[in-house]
Amino acid sequence: MSNTSTNILDIKNIEVMYDNVILALHDVSLKVPKGKVVALLGANGAGKSTTLKAVSTMLASERGKVTKGSIDYDGTSIEKQNPSQMVGLGMVQVLEGRRCFGHLTVEENIISGAYSRKLSKGDINQELEKIYTYFIRLKERRKSQAAFTSGGEQQMIAVARAMMAKPKMLLLDEPTMGLAPQLVAEIFNIVKELNQKEGVSILLAEQNTNVALKNSDYGYIIETGRVMLDGTAKSLLSNDQVKELYLGISKKGRKNFRDVLKEESLTKKKIN
Amino acid sequence: MVDELLFFMEVLVGGLLAGTMYSLVALGFVLIFKASATFNFSQGAMVFFSVLAFCGFMQDFNIPFVLAFIMAALLMVVVGLCTERFVLRPLMNASEDTVLMATIGLGYVLEGLAQAAWGVEVRRLDLGIGDFPVPWIADNLKLFISALDITAGLVAAIMIIGLFLLFKYTKIGLGLRAVADDAGAASSIGIPLKHIMLLVWSAAGVVALVAGCMWGARAGVQFALVDLALKALPVLIIGGFSSIPGAIIGGLIIGAVEKVLEVYIGPFFGGAIEGWAPYVLAIFFLLYRPEGLFGEKIIRRV
Repeated sequence: MSNTSTNILDIKNIEVMYDNVILALHDVSLKVPKGKVVALLGANGAGKSTTLKAVSTMLASERGKVTKGSIDYDGTSIEKQNPSQMVGLGMVQVLEGRRCFGHLTVEENIISGAYSRKLSKGDINQELEKIYTYFIRLKERRKSQAAFTSGGEQQMIAVARAMMAKPKMLLLDEPTMGLAPQLVAEIFNIVKELNQKEGVSILLAEQNTNVALKNSDYGYIIETGRVMLDGTAKSLLSNDQVKELYLGISKKGRKNFRDVLKEESLTKKKIN
Repeated sequence: MVDELLFFMEVLVGGLLAGTMYSLVALGFVLIFKASATFNFSQGAMVFFSVLAFCGFMQDFNIPFVLAFIMAALLMVVVGLCTERFVLRPLMNASEDTVLMATIGLGYVLEGLAQAAWGVEVRRLDLGIGDFPVPWIADNLKLFISALDITAGLVAAIMIIGLFLLFKYTKIGLGLRAVADDAGAASSIGIPLKHIMLLVWSAAGVVALVAGCMWGARAGVQFALVDLALKALPVLIIGGFSSIPGAIIGGLIIGAVEKVLEVYIGPFFGGAIEGWAPYVLAIFFLLYRPEGLFGEKIIRRV
């Protein structure tokens, strides 16, 4: 029972199906302790997004369904909730690919995040100012149409918009996809800051294993819908398997794709 | 020469004002297209249904004008509510084409219900505004312009300003614009799609009622109102499916062009080109500017 009070999110052995036939998750269990950053790592199609959508209950709109297992958020099951109720409970997902409202201005985008809260105009402005302290860049661009901002700015808009809902927990789906390294660092700095200053618990899905682990407390690695490995971020960073498979570092030094191909062709020759 | 110019002005202004009536019909389509990316084929039936109910309340139950109008507007909100609950919600994950087909079906249901409840005969709708030239304008500007046209123009202007303010400055308007841009992202930040759909369909219903009143006062409240909504199609192609200003300006263009062509070119074709000239214009737009004047890349959606 002590677990439920320290973990804001507790996923137990879930299985997820799309369209009643496509099995996307076989068996995923993970926990997010209150106030911590947890990374969910894996390649394309491993089930990261599906896991996040199962938590935010956005699965239903994609004909997906949790068919086994349970998801508890803040001590209660989320089974009967819908996405807007989850936002009301303080769980907000930042979808993959930023998904800004292109025709709205940057500021309108951010304000739309407060839709679920009953705030007066004054309160909204106060919240906005607070949000802008984390996203200084956005304040300069507040009147621009979101579609005309850069990829990094759009990612910031998406996170800022989610923060306007005053979440207790954020689900970030590949926040650094397609961004230049400098921007990746900038985004992660903001995420860390939000985590530390606002006390928001964070579950983030990433392909960028190295950066994600360096900015997280704990990590899970999933492959084809199953959790393969989990541990503290530090232990995963120094784990040999993780190094070899996800960080591109083997014991013999850096390993790249060409080396792998060379090795393969050598073994083929031997067989022949 | 002056007489010819005056006559041209009269044709043009008459056309523009008549065009606002097309704009009113097109407005209903735009509202729904913005929120659900679907061309609502039942919009014409909604026009017919709402204004027939309005007439029915007044003429069969002797309910006073204003009260009957409010009741008809509320009825359209109920229609919006039922549409959301029984048509849109079950089709939430369906493709846009499926929803499109559903709106065709919905149109037949509304037509049938309207006729079952209020009968099939043509009704006269008297708004207390005559469809004859306003004496003051005729005397002072030497232009013969119908009072009904002017009223329609004013009503359209008021509705447009109202909708603009609603979208731009209210919370629900912001929600609607967010849903129009990306419904998935909107729901991820807690904007309830249900409420937005309900709002949009109710607003489209009330717009249909207003458009129906204008057209009904001119042409009689009859089944032909359903087909009249098809005139909104060239309006939308020219203006752009997702743009409210586009609906207005598209309507004005269609109104003006069809009247001017009818008067000046019509005789060469033996007249009555009003009926098809807008569609020819629409074809040119489809060929050279398929997104319309104000639309945003919608080619894939329709």
